[in-house]
Amino acid sequence: MPMVVAENLVKSYGKVKAVDGLNLTIDKGSVTGLIGPNGAGKTTTIKMILGLLKPDSGWVEVFGQNPWDNPEIRDLIGVVHEKAFFPSHQRTIDYLRRACRIFGVSESRAFEVLKLVDLQEASDRAIKALSAGMLQKFAIAHALINQPQLVIADEMTANLDPQSRSALLDLVLRLNKDEGVTFLLSSHILPELSRVCDSVAIINRGKVWAFGKLAELYEKYGAGIVRISTDRPVELSEEIKGLPFIEKLAADARGISVKVAKGREEEFYEYVSKLARKVNAKIHGIETGSASLEELYRLVVGANKLGETI
Amino acid sequence: MKRGKPFLEVFASAVHEDYRFPILEIFVFFYALGTFALASFGSALSTMGASEEAVAYSLASSVLGTPLFVFLILIIKNLAYGLGSDIEKGVIQTYLSYPLKRSRILSAKLLSAIGLSLLILLGIQIPALYLLAPGIVASHFGAVLLTYAANLSPILFISGIMLLVTLIVRRGGLALVFGIILYFAFSIVSSMLMFTAFATKSSTILQILSVFYPSTALSRYYGMQFYPGIEEVWVPTFQEVALYIGASYLITIFTFAIAYIYFCRRFSV
Repeated sequence: MPMVVAENLVKSYGKVKAVDGLNLTIDKGSVTGLIGPNGAGKTTTIKMILGLLKPDSGWVEVFGQNPWDNPEIRDLIGVVHEKAFFPSHQRTIDYLRRACRIFGVSESRAFEVLKLVDLQEASDRAIKALSAGMLQKFAIAHALINQPQLVIADEMTANLDPQSRSALLDLVLRLNKDEGVTFLLSSHILPELSRVCDSVAIINRGKVWAFGKLAELYEKYGAGIVRISTDRPVELSEEIKGLPFIEKLAADARGISVKVAKGREEEFYEYVSKLARKVNAKIHGIETGSASLEELYRLVVGANKLGETI
Repeated sequence: MKRGKPFLEVFASAVHEDYRFPILEIFVFFYALGTFALASFGSALSTMGASEEAVAYSLASSVLGTPLFVFLILIIKNLAYGLGSDIEKGVIQTYLSYPLKRSRILSAKLLSAIGLSLLILLGIQIPALYLLAPGIVASHFGAVLLTYAANLSPILFISGIMLLVTLIVRRGGLALVFGIILYFAFSIVSSMLMFTAFATKSSTILQILSVFYPSTALSRYYGMQFYPGIEEVWVPTFQEVALYIGASYLITIFTFAIAYIYFCRRFSV
C-alpha cells in the first residue's frame, strides 16, 4: 500500500526548475533511499512531500491526503531536516518535552528518544551548546518523538562519527523491522543507504531517473559490470562510449565502469586493448562483477549524461 | 493518538526565546522608567484649566511618550530576531513540521512578539495612571483608552509592514535595519507634514496625517496645540476622531491580513 504518492511534481525557483515532472511512490513498510547529485531536487521533493513547499503543478499525497492542506497528517510523520534548527536557548530535554506535548504523547518519551540516539547525557544542555553531531542526533531524537509511521530524513547521518552512523543505521533497521516504520532517506553516502534501503530512487535534474527495489535495479543496471582500472579514464571512456554494444558507462578518477550488452564481452575486451593503445592509456586491471550502489548510481546518472551514444 | 496543544507550545517556545533573561527585565525597567520618570507632565499640567476629559487625555499622552518608543523597539527586536532569524535559521521550518496550521504558527509568534509586549506596556501604564490621578482616570477611562488606541495604531501599522517585509526578506538583520529606517521615515514624514499643514493652514494635510496618526486628530479634538501661539487650523468632531482611529486600524488590519495570506499561501521554507 503506498504511503506517499507523487505525480508529475514540478517546482521552480525563478527560472531554475528544481523538480521537473517527478513521480515517486513510497510503499508502507519500505526503506527508500533518495539519491542524486547536489541540486538534483531531493530536498525540494522532500519539502513538497512534507507540505512545506507547494508544487507549481502535479500533486502529492501522504497517507492519502494533500500535505499542504492537511497539516494534521504530520502527527504521523517524523522529520529530520537537512539543516536542523531548534529554539536555541532551551534545554534539549525541555524542548523534547514540549514536542511531546505538541504531539500529545507522554513526556517520558522525551528521555526515551534521547536514549535511543545515545544523547541522554546531554539532556540538561542548552540546544545552542550542542556540537554539530550532537545536534544531528537531537534532530533524529526529535523526529522519533511522536512514534511516527513515516520518517523522512534529509542527510540524516551528516556530521555523525562512524560509530554513531552505524548505530543509527541499526536503529533504522530495527524500527523498520520491529515497528514497521516506513523511511524515506536522502543521502550522499551510498554505502549507508545500500545497507538499510530496500528501494532506491535515483534523482537527477528534477526527475526520477531510476526507481525500484534495490535487487531489481542491480539486476537491470548493475549485473555484469566490467570495471577497467586505468591511468587515463577520461580519454579511454570517450573512446569506449562510441562502441555500439555499450549499454551504460561511468568514469571517475579511478577507472571506468561499463555495462556491456550480453554476449559481447569477449569482443569488448579486444576493443579495450586497441582503444587503450590509441589513447596511450595503461590498463592496470579488468574485472567483472556486480555493481555497488555507488556504481549503480554513476551508471544511471552518467549514462544519461552521455545521451544517445549509450 | 491524543491531540496535543501545538499552538500553546509554539507560543510558549516563542515567549521563552523572545523574553529570555535579561531581555524582559530590561524592557520592563525602561517601560517603568519612561512611565514614572520620563513622562512630560508639563503638557498635562498646562491643561489644568481644561476639562477633566482633556486632562485624562493629556495624562495618558504624557506617560505614553518614551514607553511607546520602547514598545516599538521591543516589537522590532522580536520581529527581526524572533521571527526573521527563526526563518533564516530554520526554526520556522521545524514549527511547520508540526501538525499545526500555518496561520496558528504565525499567530503564536505574533502573540509573543507583539501581544505580550503590549500586555506588559499596558500592565505597567494603566496602574500607573490610576496611581497618578485616580479620580480623573477612573471617571474618564474612555478618553484614556481612546488615547492609547490613537497612539498605538501607527506603531501597529509599522509592525504590520515590518512583519510583511520580514516574511519576504527572511533575514533577521535586514528586517531589523528596515524596521529602524521605517520608523524614522514615518517620524520625519509626519513631522514635515505637520509643519507644512500649519505653515499652509491646510486642514487636508492634517486629515490625511490623521489616517495614519489618529493621535493628530485626537489632540486637535482635545484642544492640544502642537505649535503654541499659532492659530488652530482644524478641530475635528468626536465622530471624526473615531472615524480616523477606525480607519487607521482598518489599514493596520489590512497589512496584517496581507502578511497572514502571504505566510499561509505563498511562504515556503
